[in-house]
Amino acid sequence: MKISLSLNINGQDMELEIDAKQTLLEVLRNNTKFQSVHRSCEEGECGACTVLLDNEPVNSCLILAASVQGATILTSEGLIKNGKPHPLMKAFTDELGIQCGFCTPGMLMTSYAVVNKSGKKELTDKEIRKSLEGNLCRCTGYINIVKSVKQAQKAKNAGEWW
Amino acid sequence: MKKREERLILGKGQYTDDLDFANMAHLVFVGSPHAHAKIVSINSEKAVKLPGVLKVITGRDMMEHTYPLPVQANFKGEGWTWRLVHVYAIPEDKVRWFGEPVAAVVAEDEDTARVAADLIEVEYDQLPLAGNAVEALAPGAPKLYDDWEDNKQVHLKFDFGDPDKAFEMADQVLRVTNREGRVTGLPIEPRGCVGVYDHRNDFLEMWGSFQTPFLSRHNIAATLGMPEAKVKINSVDIGGAFGLKIHAWKENVVALASKLIERPVKWIEPHRDFMATGPHQRDVVFEGDIAFKNDGTLLGLKAQVTHDLGVESTNKGIAALSIFPACSSPTNMYKWVGMHVEGIGVVTNKSFYCAYRGYGKDKGIKFIETAINQVAKKLGMTPEAIRFKNFIQPHEFPFHQINNYMLDSGDYPAILNKAIEMADLDTLRKKKKKLEPAGQYLGIGIITSIEPAGVAVPNCQMGGITQARVLMTPDGSVEVYSDRTEIGQGSEISHAVIAADILGMEHEDIHIKKVTSDFIGQGPLSSRGAVYPASAVAKASKLLKQKIIHCASTLLNIERSEVVVEKGYIFCASDEKKRLSYKEFAEKVFFFPGPRGLDPEMLKNHDHLLDVTTTWYSPTTPESGSAYTTFCVSADIAAVEVDIETGVSKIIKYVHVHDAGTIINQQVVDSQIHGGIVQGIGEALYESLDYDSDGRLMNTSFSNYFIPTSVEAPDIEIAHLETPSPFSETGSKGMGEAPIIGSKAVILDAIEDALSCFNIRVNDSPATPEKVRKWIIEATKKHNGAA
Repeated sequence: MKISLSLNINGQDMELEIDAKQTLLEVLRNNTKFQSVHRSCEEGECGACTVLLDNEPVNSCLILAASVQGATILTSEGLIKNGKPHPLMKAFTDELGIQCGFCTPGMLMTSYAVVNKSGKKELTDKEIRKSLEGNLCRCTGYINIVKSVKQAQKAKNAGEWW
Repeated sequence: MKKREERLILGKGQYTDDLDFANMAHLVFVGSPHAHAKIVSINSEKAVKLPGVLKVITGRDMMEHTYPLPVQANFKGEGWTWRLVHVYAIPEDKVRWFGEPVAAVVAEDEDTARVAADLIEVEYDQLPLAGNAVEALAPGAPKLYDDWEDNKQVHLKFDFGDPDKAFEMADQVLRVTNREGRVTGLPIEPRGCVGVYDHRNDFLEMWGSFQTPFLSRHNIAATLGMPEAKVKINSVDIGGAFGLKIHAWKENVVALASKLIERPVKWIEPHRDFMATGPHQRDVVFEGDIAFKNDGTLLGLKAQVTHDLGVESTNKGIAALSIFPACSSPTNMYKWVGMHVEGIGVVTNKSFYCAYRGYGKDKGIKFIETAINQVAKKLGMTPEAIRFKNFIQPHEFPFHQINNYMLDSGDYPAILNKAIEMADLDTLRKKKKKLEPAGQYLGIGIITSIEPAGVAVPNCQMGGITQARVLMTPDGSVEVYSDRTEIGQGSEISHAVIAADILGMEHEDIHIKKVTSDFIGQGPLSSRGAVYPASAVAKASKLLKQKIIHCASTLLNIERSEVVVEKGYIFCASDEKKRLSYKEFAEKVFFFPGPRGLDPEMLKNHDHLLDVTTTWYSPTTPESGSAYTTFCVSADIAAVEVDIETGVSKIIKYVHVHDAGTIINQQVVDSQIHGGIVQGIGEALYESLDYDSDGRLMNTSFSNYFIPTSVEAPDIEIAHLETPSPFSETGSKGMGEAPIIGSKAVILDAIEDALSCFNIRVNDSPATPEKVRKWIIEATKKHNGAA
């Protein structure tokens, strides 16, 4: 059954015609081609498909797209401003918080939410690790990811953030 | 330098699942719910009637249109057993493990294919199981392959040095047993590919998560009965591999589907299938006697390692091949008189065995390190003292080990000393003593290891082949081709650094090309990236530099010895005004070569073509027979606290000191260490693929196969020593597998130390809380009984 769905994705209002049984992951990847959102376990365990749904990180594979009518979605593509990488992205590059890159977009979105919510207080390693628990990475051992989040937080506190 | 990383972070990666071709169909496999059964019938009538279904492929189609999967390794040593089978990518008559595909459905879209897959009716006649190695070896056990005598696929026997003499010289002999659970490497991206058969040209092109495209092409072409020249394999961005994407199995079915329907066909493997029908590893019992003198001198080993291989690999022989390093690696970094090691591989009704970070080297080294720590305990020595006594010394390199490994370089005592210093070992030990009476159990593990890297062995597809091409384009930038796919291990960064440094260019002007089957090579496996492909790239870059110098000397009208290449410029050492940017230089060479530009002699000899293709082979392997070329060195010290009430182990401190020769890029090396150590921790503490009594895999999800999350992963303190290898072109050593070898051993060693007052052997990984509790309860009962 086809239904229409209104979403604001990465700052853009979109009217989509989707199949009622499609997940948010499928809509983002297949209908709107935001392919940084990766499909892996399809059961909410790995976090590779993490996006922000009204500013909260969610596993888009577990969400029926039809259930989020009118929502605001942010994927990692939406962090880029005028072609410029977000300071969070720069932090992941500088600190090499990436190896194969498959978990990275999801990791970025959880990190973005964590840093946004942190206020001026500097997050401890333990807090960062706890907040990234739902995003599995098999390559990095997480250390450079934690470093990346710390650098990102510094950038935010220095006002280099959007 | 981080071009690829920037691209991926910007969400511009192109992984297999992102591929889209016009008119593309989708393929889904139907897996067996049984571990061992005859296929009585397959009824696909309902499935083919579903609108959108294009084709159903079964084992019969595979028999009709393809050949059995090709043999990839075949050894016929004296007194050895080495059995192989004829298997097709989908079986026709019998399933041998839970999840084994019995059919594939091709449809207009993936959803339709999935629905149709559920409509395929398969009638099975269940057979008795050989559920594990013990069952499979028992007399009268159900046989997996009717024409074999029994379920023993492989039995290898090795004598290194003089094992009998070692035992004659011994004051004492100690028996040691180690068991490792079954694990899988599990990259976050599953397998997948797209096959595009062009019937006009009879040409098959595939794109996908291929770790070794050149080998995959060979195997896919052989299976489909096509000339290799008619097949091309392209690697796209790969979401992790760790050895699990070297083979070509289900990929053959995708290729055939494309050929049969003459349309592009895409297959993305669901993660649960990747676990149930993917390559597994470990699942070994290693037991043996270690011979030593009362002063701690190590002498010899007589051991046997039994592997539960699962079904005969879809990479025929390549699974069993990992038994070789398991048998030969126990020599590690010490002097020995002799060893006798037997490796047994047993087929069982489990998913197949294949490569995963470690590939047997981990098993042998973990075993011997455990054994040495037991010897130290027996003799009242510290683990460091017994190692200092037996290490090969820095002045003894190159050292021809009894197993023919030609150990290249290193300072083994320095590595361990550095780790002891960083871990502050004395303080840790004092802390342990202080905490114990208070009911807190802290343990310290110490492991030292080498990593044999860059495999080259005869009689198999791991013969040591590699090829690289480095060429300058008319805009003055450089393209680098090799067989080293980027699987997240920093291939592109490393090759860019190597070429840029040799050619005096900026990193951004070096372009690392995606790997395809056009270039010969085994790809990145056995930590060979820094050994073979990197050496080939360095060699090609050096040869290209000679050409550049030759051309520049004629263009600038100076002696060749005066030509300097630096930071994107070519200039005269004694007169820096005589200079050309690489852009100016390349344009002149390509478009204005002569006669007033370049030396006419150069043109006659075609020396001005700025394009070098070359190959590289180990300088030691041909004469010594060493299966590996470089041997990086590590020391791991970990402190672990065990809660004896819950059985939970917590890592308090982790120190890793490392010598991988010349470091090409430290950030890359460090991140390999981080990732490898955490994978090893997963193996030591959490990861275990468990089959139920009906042979069904019980963990096919991240929710019940636990890989470490950011919370379990510890902080890791790293130090590097740099002893260049004399045998690789850059002085670098392969190091990708080293961290997993040390870490899985050191965590178990630390737990054993933490529980030293209970006198428990922690020799069965993973050391889950349940197991730790069981050991403590048993030990307490035994103690109370004895009292």
